Amino acid sequence: MNLALAGLACVVVAGAVVAVSAREARAALLGLLVALLGASLVADPLPGPLPIAARLASAFLACRLIAVVIRDLDEPTSGSRLGWPVEALAAAAAAVIGFGTHGLGAPGEGPAEAQAAGFAVGVLAASPIVSSRDVFRLGIGAILLLLGGLLVRQGLGGTPSELEQLVTSGLVVGLGGAVGVIIAGARAAVGSLVVSDRPARDAPREGRHLRP
Amino acid sequence: MTILPFLVITFGAGAASLLTRRNGPLSTAIGIGGLAAAVIAAGMITADDGLPMGGAELIGSAYLRLFVLFGSIVALLLAVLGLATTSHRYTPGVLLGGIGAAGLALAMPDARIAVIAATAGGLLGILVTIVPPATARGVVVAGRELRALAIAGVLAILAAAWIARPLEALAAEPAVFGLAYLGFAIAVAIRFGAIPFHFWAARLADAAPEVTLPMLMAWSPAAFAVVALAWADQSVAPLILPLGVERSLIVAVGVVSVILGSLAAWIQDDLEHVVGYTIIADAGIAILGLAALNPAAWEPARTWVIVFVMVRSAFAAWAVAVRGAFGTRRIAQLNGWVLRAPVLAVSFGLIVIAAVSWPGLVGWESRATLIDLTLDGPFLALVTAGVLMQIVVFGRLLYVGLSRPSQAVAGGLSERPLWPGSIPARPMVGRTGTERAFERTSHALRAGLDIARVVPAALRENSTLIAALLVLVLSGLSLGVASGGLGVPEAARAVPGQEPGPGPVESEPPPSESPPSEPPATATPPTETGSPSASGSPLPVGSAAPGPSASAPPSP
Repeated sequence: MNLALAGLACVVVAGAVVAVSAREARAALLGLLVALLGASLVADPLPGPLPIAARLASAFLACRLIAVVIRDLDEPTSGSRLGWPVEALAAAAAAVIGFGTHGLGAPGEGPAEAQAAGFAVGVLAASPIVSSRDVFRLGIGAILLLLGGLLVRQGLGGTPSELEQLVTSGLVVGLGGAVGVIIAGARAAVGSLVVSDRPARDAPREGRHLRP
Repeated sequence: MTILPFLVITFGAGAASLLTRRNGPLSTAIGIGGLAAAVIAAGMITADDGLPMGGAELIGSAYLRLFVLFGSIVALLLAVLGLATTSHRYTPGVLLGGIGAAGLALAMPDARIAVIAATAGGLLGILVTIVPPATARGVVVAGRELRALAIAGVLAILAAAWIARPLEALAAEPAVFGLAYLGFAIAVAIRFGAIPFHFWAARLADAAPEVTLPMLMAWSPAAFAVVALAWADQSVAPLILPLGVERSLIVAVGVVSVILGSLAAWIQDDLEHVVGYTIIADAGIAILGLAALNPAAWEPARTWVIVFVMVRSAFAAWAVAVRGAFGTRRIAQLNGWVLRAPVLAVSFGLIVIAAVSWPGLVGWESRATLIDLTLDGPFLALVTAGVLMQIVVFGRLLYVGLSRPSQAVAGGLSERPLWPGSIPARPMVGRTGTERAFERTSHALRAGLDIARVVPAALRENSTLIAALLVLVLSGLSLGVASGGLGVPEAARAVPGQEPGPGPVESEPPPSESPPSEPPATATPPTETGSPSASGSPLPVGSAAPGPSASAPPSP
C-alpha cells in the first residue's frame, strides 16, 4: 500500500462524508471541493502538471459556480438523515470492499486506493441521488457519484491520458454549472432548496432526521 | 486536424453565446453565426483524419462528418425557428455545445473518454430546462435530468473501464462482459428516456423550450448510443459469449419502448408529448440495435440512429411551427390546421413518409433488419405493430387537421405572405435627361431604404411563413436521409480507425472453429476505406495480454 495515496484517498472520502452530511451548505461545499481536489491526485503515476492544473482549476470553478448561488442562503440543507458517523462507517466499509476487490477480478492498472475511494464516494452518493428532493444535496450526490465512477476508473485503468483529464475537467465544470443552475432555479421558484411537484404533505419529511 | 475547427467553433461560439446571454441580440447573433460556421466546418471534416492530442487521438470519419453536419444544420434551423416562434436565451449556446460535445465523443476511439464527453454534453440541457421564470416543475424536471445523466454516465464509465484492459483469466467469465454490456446498455436506455427509464424524459417536454427537445432527447443521447454501439461491437460482440439473459433484458427495454412509446404518443393531447414519445419509441429500435450483438447490425443500427434523429427533429420543428402559428399545443384545439397552413401540411406529409417509409427505403430497411436480428415470433409481430402504430398517430393529426377549423386555428396566424405598408409612389418631375437620370437613381435609393426599413416588420409579420419554410427544408432533408440519400448508409457501414490500447486480446481464429449457429466471430463491417475486413480485429488492438479469443469461444 502506498501511504501517500492512502492518505489522499482518506482525504477524498472525508471530504465526501462532510459533503453529504453537513447541514450548513458552505461546509458541505467545502467538503465537495476537498473531495474533487484530492480525487485528481489519487493516481499512480501522478498525472503531469498540466492535467493536474486542469483538474484543480475545474474543481475550484465547479464549486465556485455553486457557491455563487448559495451565497446568501440562510437555511440549512437537509443533510444526512443517518448522521455523519453512519455515513463515515458506510464509506469505510465500502472502501475496504473496494480495496479488497481491486481490479474487480483482474489486475488493476491503477492504484487500489483509487478504487477504494471510488467505492466509498459512490456509496456516499447513493442516498442523495436516490431519495433527496433537496436540490443542493441532489447536486452534491450527482457530482460525487460521477467522481466515484472516475476514481474506480482510475483504479481499474490507471492514470488517465491528458485528453481524458481535460474532458473530465470539462465534465466537472459542467456538473458545477448544472447544479448551480438548478439551485438558483429552486430558490427563484420556491425560495427554498427543497422542491417537489407532489402535494405539500411530502415536503416536511425531507428535513426529518433520525437523530435529533 | 479537420475536426479541430469544428470543435473550436462549436465550443467557442457556444461559450460566447452563453456568456453574453444578458445581451439577447448579441448572444443570438453569436449563436446563429456560430451554428452557420459549424455547418461549414462540419462539412470539411475528412475521414481517417487523426489529431493526436494529450496522449490520445481524435479521429474523423464519414459517419462523424454526417452526424455533426446534420446536427449543425438541424440546430441552425431550430435556432432560427426559435426566433420566428418562441425560444430561450440559452438556446443557441446549448445547441452549439450539445452538437460540439457529440462531435467530440464520436471523434474519440477510446470509449472511456467518449462517454465522459457525451455525459458532459448532456449537462448543457439543464441550462434550458429551467426556463425563466423558474417553476417548481421545471426545477424537478432538471433535477431528474441531472440524476439520469449522472447515473447513466457512471454506468457507462464503469462499463467501459472494466473491460478496456487485459483481463487475464477473468476474460473467460461471460458474467464480466455481460454485466459491463448490460450496464452500458442501461446507460443508453436512461439517456434516451426509454421505458421504464422515461420519467425524466416524459416531463422534459413540459419544461424545456420546444426547439431544444431534439437536442436534449435525440441528438445528445444518440451520440452516446453510437459510442455504445462501437464499444459493444469492438469489445463484446466478437467474443460470442452466452449473454442470453443480458440480451433479453435489453431487448425487453427496446420492445417495451417501441410499443408503449407509440401507444403513449397516440393517446397524448399535447403535441410536444407526442413528439417526445415518438422519440422514445424510435429509440427503442436503436436499443434493439445494441441488443443484436451481431456484425450484421452495425450498419443498420448506425443508419437508424441518424434517420430517426433527423426525422424526429423535423417532427419537433413542425410541432414548434404549429404552436407558433396557432398558439396552442393541444391537439384537440388544432382542428383545421391543414387548411390554414398548407406549407406545414406538405411538411407533415414529408415527415410521415420519412417516419413510416416503406420497404426499399433505408429508414424502413434498417429498422426491419434490427427487428429481424433481435426478435422473432409474437414479439416481432408486436414490435412491427408498434412501429406501424405511428400511422395511427399521424393519422389522428391529419384527421384533426382536415376537420372544421377551431377557434384557435381560425384566429391563428396565416402562412399567406404579407408586406407591411406600401412603397410610396414618387412622380418624375425632371425635364432634361440628366435630371431624370439623377431622379431615377434617387428614387431607386429611396425605394431601397424604404424596403430596408420595413424588412424587420416584414419578417415579424411573415414569421409563420418563415417557420413553415424552415420546417419544409428540415422535413425534406429528413426524407432525403430516410430514403438513403446523402451517403448515410455508406458512412454507417464504415468502421473508423481503432486506437491501439488495452483490452481483451484478439486472435485470428480458424474459420472452421466458428460455431455455425452464431454470427461469425471475426466478421466486422468494412473499414472506413471501404475494404471489407473479414477477419479484422474487432477488439481494441495492441494488447499482448491473454484473454478470450474468438477462436475458442465459451460454449453458448
